[in-house]
Amino acid sequence: MRRALLLPARLWIALFFAAPLAIICAYSLLTRGDYGGVETPWTLESFARLADPLYLAILWRSLWISTLATALCALLGFPLALFIARAGRHKNLYLQLVLLPFWTSFLVRTYAWIFILRDTGLINTVLSSLGLIAKPLPLLYNDGAVLIGLVYNFLPFFVLPMFATLERLDPSLMEAAADLGARPLSTLRRVILPLSAPGFVAGAVLVFIPCLGAYLTPDLLGGGKSVMVGNLIQNQFTTARDWPFGSAASLILMLASAVLLAAVMRSRTARELI
Amino acid sequence: MNRRAFIPTLAAIPVLAACARDRRPRLNVWNWSTYIDPAMLTGFENEHGVHVRYATYESNEEMLAKVMTGNSGWDVVFPTHSRLAPMARNGMLAPLDLSRLPALGNLDARFRHPAWDPDLHWGVPYMWNATGIVYNRTQTAALTAWSGLWNPALRGRLTMLDDPEDVIGACLQKLGDPFGSTDIRQLQAARREAIDQKQLLRAYLNAEVRDQLVSSDVLAAQIWSTTAAQAIHAEPKLSFVYPSEGYPLYCDCASILKESTRTDLAHQFLNFLLEPDVAAANARVAETATANGAAQRLLPHDPVLYPDNEIYARGVWPTALPSDAQRYRDRLWTEIKSA
Amino acid sequence: MRKHLLATYSALALLFLHAPLLILIVFSFNAGRFTRWEGLSLHWYRAAMADPQLADGLLNSVIVALIAATVSTLIGTAAAYGMWRHRAPWLSGSLYLSLVTPEIVTGVSLLALFQWTFRFLHLHLGLATVIIAHIAFSIAYVTIVISARLRNCDRSLEEAAMDLGATEWAAFRRVTLPLIAPAVAAAGLLALVVSFDDYVITSLVAGVDSETLPMVIYAMARRGVSPVVNAVSALIVVAFGIIILISQHLQAEDESPT
Repeated sequence: MRRALLLPARLWIALFFAAPLAIICAYSLLTRGDYGGVETPWTLESFARLADPLYLAILWRSLWISTLATALCALLGFPLALFIARAGRHKNLYLQLVLLPFWTSFLVRTYAWIFILRDTGLINTVLSSLGLIAKPLPLLYNDGAVLIGLVYNFLPFFVLPMFATLERLDPSLMEAAADLGARPLSTLRRVILPLSAPGFVAGAVLVFIPCLGAYLTPDLLGGGKSVMVGNLIQNQFTTARDWPFGSAASLILMLASAVLLAAVMRSRTARELI
Repeated sequence: MNRRAFIPTLAAIPVLAACARDRRPRLNVWNWSTYIDPAMLTGFENEHGVHVRYATYESNEEMLAKVMTGNSGWDVVFPTHSRLAPMARNGMLAPLDLSRLPALGNLDARFRHPAWDPDLHWGVPYMWNATGIVYNRTQTAALTAWSGLWNPALRGRLTMLDDPEDVIGACLQKLGDPFGSTDIRQLQAARREAIDQKQLLRAYLNAEVRDQLVSSDVLAAQIWSTTAAQAIHAEPKLSFVYPSEGYPLYCDCASILKESTRTDLAHQFLNFLLEPDVAAANARVAETATANGAAQRLLPHDPVLYPDNEIYARGVWPTALPSDAQRYRDRLWTEIKSA
Repeated sequence: MRKHLLATYSALALLFLHAPLLILIVFSFNAGRFTRWEGLSLHWYRAAMADPQLADGLLNSVIVALIAATVSTLIGTAAAYGMWRHRAPWLSGSLYLSLVTPEIVTGVSLLALFQWTFRFLHLHLGLATVIIAHIAFSIAYVTIVISARLRNCDRSLEEAAMDLGATEWAAFRRVTLPLIAPAVAAAGLLALVVSFDDYVITSLVAGVDSETLPMVIYAMARRGVSPVVNAVSALIVVAFGIIILISQHLQAEDESPT
């Protein structure tokens, strides 16, 4: 009976994940049709095109921004997760608070940041009415805005696994360290941080991979002035109507994500957190 | 109430609501956003006893992606004129039966035998607009040409459209080259212009820029005449200009998809759209230029939307480019965007 | 002192997470279009309620979310339980892979699948394709939540029940299921949210009659700042806040006898 329980999932994934993926693999090896779509001959041209410095630069840029966003999430998310893990009775409430913004649409959240960062947006209006600035600060349509948007959207993805790790930490370890004379900062550095490494890894993966494929945030907050891998793929499937090339780029992106995830899965403790 | 009852109760409400959907014959129309007067739709529904399922899209590509393999479910779509020929060639469109469109005579003379479809075989011209420049009269010197958008004084207060055809085309026209050029050397030069301009550029924005123009965040923008008219209505300090080097014109046409099984009703709908009062009402809501001459006479003349003959002569109707030229431009666009 | 530092920091961090939404909500009551406060007004709420596209979008979103969440919770729970008892490396691997697939790729691949099969089946894109897509990407989330909970469960409990004469199904229903019930509820809620929130995949596989709320909001946002979007967001936040409060209350109710 138990094996049969796996059947619905196996069927659904096979039909609606594996089969579509196979089609994308096929597309990546075909040629672009005259007005979009695909046609034979079979060719590796799409993959070869990806080796072009232009696209490698785009990939590099995406990796860089994603790494930055992940680092910021880690920096901002770790203390928050630590606080929640130690909050005792109110743990659940704080977790719900962290997740509450997620109940609204992703677009609405990104749109809120446009509202805040524009030249006539909230920050500039407040600062100029307080007389602190003469001209509006250019807060929107640059990499900084994109980073804010990414960090804002993915922070909970870091906080949750981090919290899960920290919650399982044995408090007696920290007591032992204190008994042995360590000051709080030292305990943090030499006991807590090393033990929370799986949480860092899990959280980083859950932030980094979606960041890599993001396209709405860079599009809306970046003013269309920079191209990340997600934008490139989206462009190929819409404006450029070059499905083979878009498919090839998608596969490469997925390969990178899968490799990263596989590396993380090797660490057993991290695996238990994802 | 316990948890077990809560979810099913919540689920029952929309299911019941869905069952109450109506059973009249359907016509599925997919159009650009704010391109029709809802009252006109209701009028058509009542007149013919049908239900019009109306939805909107924001770009030709979005529409093409769904329509391409012939099972999107839509009956009527509104492609831009340059897409008609390729769509027809790829078997996406049903040929129009002009005998079922008696109101065709209402079209403006310019659109009765348009260059892209002289026999009106594939699409009935619906609304048209152009790409030009909007600028804030009180905060910047008057602009008359594309080259004005490369003025360093506008640094950070300038936007261009997020559209490869418009941006590359503007760069080509600035250099005196044809809008639809396929010459590699000319395109390379246009690319250099675009990348030079990027340092002055605030962002690549489409219709969203309207509010930033009104609030003076942005002082000059490459923009469609529709959006310009809306911005000027909201803020009279703005001016629209058709660039002296030339500019592109676009016409959205009503077409019937080949996959449609309701071509009779679709023809009736297209004919309905051609009636003067209907077309005028739609043009008022869309705030854009209508291709319907009879309707134009019912509407106030807006020089932003309806350029006079001399200015109109400078306009170019872009055509679909050959595949490799298109591919080259796509790559250029990626290069420009990632520079 | 460090405790206070941590608490202050966390308060600021939570503020960072909530501030944009609070601001949106406050300005949904602004009579003017921009950031100058021009007086209190319900004008945008009235506009939001009067918009038929919004109403249709909301209805579609709710229908899709409820159906997709229910089905994916069932399938995902079954899968998590099955994988707890038997190794299923291919299924487990595919589920993780589906999690890390960028949304645009999921969406486009499903569009391609539908386009190919519909050539032969003469079907159309629509609400059904949206629901299928949502179930496809939600299963992974559900499975992960329930797997995490199952990891802390003792397999021997079920075996003990069977030793005492229970069938496999009875052992599951009366021993394991009650233990994972909170996780199932949490997973269902997560699937609901993920489905309601989705834009990219939905926009790629939607057809006639299947615009969801995020699609309508996106189209509005593309046309420029409109406080109608603020009003809609405020309504969504309040609605979900109420759902959360109710679900919290129900959870507390269930837990109070113990």
